[in-house]
Amino acid sequence: MLPLSLLNAAVGHPILVELKNGETYNGHLEKCDNFMNITLREVIQTASDGDRFWRLPEAYVRGNTIKYLRIPDAVLDKVKEDMNKKRNMGSRGGRGGRGRGQGGRGGNRGGRGGMYRSQHQGHYQQQHD
Amino acid sequence: MSFVPQFFTTAESLVDSLDKKLLVVLRDGRKIIGILRSYDQFANLVLQDSLERIYVGDAYGDIERGVFIIRGENVVLLGEIDGDTEDALPLRQLPIEDILQMQREEAEEKARKDKLRFQLLHKQGFSVDFTDTDLY
Repeated sequence: MLPLSLLNAAVGHPILVELKNGETYNGHLEKCDNFMNITLREVIQTASDGDRFWRLPEAYVRGNTIKYLRIPDAVLDKVKEDMNKKRNMGSRGGRGGRGRGQGGRGGNRGGRGGMYRSQHQGHYQQQHD
Repeated sequence: MSFVPQFFTTAESLVDSLDKKLLVVLRDGRKIIGILRSYDQFANLVLQDSLERIYVGDAYGDIERGVFIIRGENVVLLGEIDGDTEDALPLRQLPIEDILQMQREEAEEKARKDKLRFQLLHKQGFSVDFTDTDLY
């Protein structure tokens, strides 16, 4: 679970964002993208010295201004659970995760292409047989 | 001829530190201790069960901080913590309220000294427009 995937999983949850300048934003994560740009709802902004506060209905934070984010423990737990569930489903189901071998046909025919090509063909077959 | 590096100096070298207890120092001087759960090519980090540790003199205090996603560019350094060495350190743990109070006093003392020093330097013709930014 990459940091940005975890951030995606935190959509809808309350999070805390601290900017490089020390300001913090508490709010519900509405959206985020791969640049770490985020939008928040129902925000409480705190000045960097921590003694002034503002309430904002919504806020957009550009990713490159962020120092760190704090998310609820529950989000990480939930993500782990989901990943375990997915893995169990995968091993029980008929498709996916099955052997790495190349199918009967199309092994290394033709002599050109070498390793990459034969792996590629194997992959292709796995998807379509 | 192929060059095989003995170790990576990129974010890849973090693979050994996964699921270990790390100390992370941020550009603003804060020290975060937590278990590294994940990272990416920018060295963005996910830390679980984190705490912020504040040092003043030979004492420290901890604040529970939960799960962190740290943007990689703010990290100065990180390193694994050896539990045995940690236990043997001659540092006192104090309640966080005491530490915060001591930290405030330390900051005030530093501000007072800086002011004096700048006044002195200014008298001797030095530039004293130093703004208090981080050193990195």
